[in-house]
Amino acid sequence: MDLPIYEISSLKHSYAGQTVLAIEHLKVQPASIVGLIGPNGSGKSSLLRLLGLIERPTQGKILFNGRLVEPFSEEARFLITLLPQEPFLMKRSVFNNVSYGLKLRGNGKGVVQKVNEALKLVGLPSQDFARRPWYALSGGEAQRVAMAARLALKPKVLLLDEPTASVDAASAQLIKEASLRARQQWGATLIVASHDWQWLYEICDDILHIFKGKIFGTGRETIIFGPWREPEPGKWVKVLSDKQQLVIPAPPNTETAAVIDVLSVSEDELRTSDDDIVLRGTVSRLSLEKNTDQVVATIIVGNLPFTVGLTPKQKRERTIFPGKNIFIHYSLDRVKWI
Amino acid sequence: MTSGNAETYSAIWATVKVSSYSIACSLFIGIPLGFCLGYFDFSGKKPLRTVVDTLMALPTVFIGLLVYAFLTQRGPLGGFGLLFTLPGIAIGQTILALPIVIGLSATAVEGMDQKLRIAIMSMGANRRQLFLSSLWEARHGLLAGAIAAYGRVMTEVGISMMVGGNIKWHTRTITTAIALETNKGQFGLGVALGLVLLAIAFCVNVSVSFLRRR
Repeated sequence: MDLPIYEISSLKHSYAGQTVLAIEHLKVQPASIVGLIGPNGSGKSSLLRLLGLIERPTQGKILFNGRLVEPFSEEARFLITLLPQEPFLMKRSVFNNVSYGLKLRGNGKGVVQKVNEALKLVGLPSQDFARRPWYALSGGEAQRVAMAARLALKPKVLLLDEPTASVDAASAQLIKEASLRARQQWGATLIVASHDWQWLYEICDDILHIFKGKIFGTGRETIIFGPWREPEPGKWVKVLSDKQQLVIPAPPNTETAAVIDVLSVSEDELRTSDDDIVLRGTVSRLSLEKNTDQVVATIIVGNLPFTVGLTPKQKRERTIFPGKNIFIHYSLDRVKWI
Repeated sequence: MTSGNAETYSAIWATVKVSSYSIACSLFIGIPLGFCLGYFDFSGKKPLRTVVDTLMALPTVFIGLLVYAFLTQRGPLGGFGLLFTLPGIAIGQTILALPIVIGLSATAVEGMDQKLRIAIMSMGANRRQLFLSSLWEARHGLLAGAIAAYGRVMTEVGISMMVGGNIKWHTRTITTAIALETNKGQFGLGVALGLVLLAIAFCVNVSVSFLRRR
């Protein structure tokens, strides 16, 4: 196996004494695409800022290509770039924004051509946009210019923090295509934080679930927040918006969040064992998971999304489709607390 | 003015020269200090900011008095022979302009979007490039500070009078000349010199507007 492009160990990061990130160990392989899934405030952006060498971790080490790195490290600063969630352009023309990083590198040769190519990658013709000032762009165009400024550098690592969160569908599609070209054309490693699960399942080699600053699971799990109720002694539940009861083992406390890994889906309500818990839901979407080639269904139960891989038989028979009412199965021993 | 009175032009030249020295010095020292004050968080930042803001209102005669006391023959810097010279006035005017440059630079830097630092660092900037790029992004606020300081320096009388002594052909500036001519009852010349000050201010503002568009 190749030397990991990133290796993190015993990392902790705090703001004003509040720990926002605690990662025991994490490795990222070169030229891979890694997705980060988690709710707002879970630590995705903090992790990307640390990986982008924007901030120094409060504790722990980040190794890049086997070497210890920190903000302004000479061995890494020209190889890693981060596209923040909100587009931020400097008070310059589009051309000067896109060429800024190239000039920092003293890379004056062929700047015009590189800028034009990068703008083309994000669907902005340079003859129309290169001379525009920063304030004459829409939000989607500004995000695409910011993306072009990163692509022009041909970085080894491209960190994308919810790159499509604040743009229209057309801009989002262009940004998605451009980020994939970075991997295809020069073998960039992509680490992408996004709420667009479907896109992440389609493109990622690995998906990491992040919650309360901790990484766990593969992204298939569903996080369910308390409060939990005990309607009868020994039986703990959460009543969902459609009045179904989601049964769980006794929680450590009534506010703890549970992680449920759904075992399977079926078209009938039959329980397969005493431990089997069944809930009724509706398929909201199907997507193809890139690294396993498995079709993954997102099923809405109450108002909670659950993700589960279809069996080869279900995939072959194509009897499960968006809009279909279906049953999810999980067992109590698959419930974890975080 | 139009007859090319050499004495008047000497005062104009002295004003341009001394204010250029003082504003150059205050920008050279004040912008980095203002950047640090606005950019970094450190203990004692708020009291320091209050001191700088207070010094922005320093009376010119008080600065003139202090500089005079230091530069006079018996003063600690008397050996340099700077009293009644243009460099002496420039020292006083630099003290006058410095808190304005520091204070307004700090305000401009504090007003910068926090996302700017992430944007610059994510492109691979080192510390020096981060500093210079941040300064460039704050250029409009810095220019406003520079104009405010230049306006104060150009129009002050107290320092020029006390430290310069209003010596004809030597340390007489536009403002001290106006004061003198008014005392002599030559209001016309005083008004004309005042218009010259306005014209210089206009030229500076036109240049700044040009820079702002870039």
